[in-house]
Amino acid sequence: MIERSSVLELTRDQIVTRIERGAKQRGFPYSAEDLIHAYHEGRLDDPSAVADLVGLAALLPDNDPLFVRP
Amino acid sequence: MSAPELDQLLGQVRELTKQYLAGGTDAFGAFCDLLNLLLRVTVLDGPGARITAGPRLKDGRDRMVIEGGLAREDDIVRLRDGRFLRLFVILFREPHNGGHRMKVEQAEYQYQVDDAGNRWVFRYDYRREPRDQHPATHLQVRGKLYEPVPLYRGILERTHFPTGRVSIEAVARLLIEQFSVSPASPSEIWRPVLAESERAFDQIAHRPLSGPSA
Repeated sequence: MIERSSVLELTRDQIVTRIERGAKQRGFPYSAEDLIHAYHEGRLDDPSAVADLVGLAALLPDNDPLFVRP
Repeated sequence: MSAPELDQLLGQVRELTKQYLAGGTDAFGAFCDLLNLLLRVTVLDGPGARITAGPRLKDGRDRMVIEGGLAREDDIVRLRDGRFLRLFVILFREPHNGGHRMKVEQAEYQYQVDDAGNRWVFRYDYRREPRDQHPATHLQVRGKLYEPVPLYRGILERTHFPTGRVSIEAVARLLIEQFSVSPASPSEIWRPVLAESERAFDQIAHRPLSGPSA
């Protein structure tokens, strides 16, 4: 019998909180928006250190304010 | 475990591999179930990986994260040596030949001593479309280099060594064979199970260049 995996549904707020808390723990004192822009613009020395955090944003729609600067 | 149990495990590996290769709506679940099966016969202690979804699904897209499920707020699993593996894979489905197929957008496997990940040991990364000059598939090692050569940013852990695509099967083998993690089953079980799954991965894995072409 195959054991089935669990599913976690995150809201936008929960995703943003996880990104910002993780970034702070790893020494990147950025907002989620700043971290994502710094990552995508290639401005981080070690992007792999936060690739999972930035990757969480892939669960948001493309038109989310995190991706679209005013 | 006995020979019949091995046959059963190999059957499950084949069934789950077939499901995720088919790219249907159950592909994400099959991929995660397979990953957990592989971890449970090798290095896992406690809860395995989970599927994490977000608002994007409600937007009509098809993208999910497979991540370590030890804690709700993190993406690690506990290993049988008391250390941790950060496990994070982004999967997406796209139309293909009248149906769909599932692809990996990003994958990260990081062996670490603490749950926060500040004391990490090695990290394998794959990014389908990297936005910087680092190799799309690379290895980083947090350690010291004994010879005085000019490293990127001056420290070994910032150096991105290009690699081929590294599978979760390869990481499990590495942890058992090179880092002395005690396996959850005899080698007569875990070796053929990993091999069965890794063969399928090798046939479909995207292999990017080691850096930008321009």
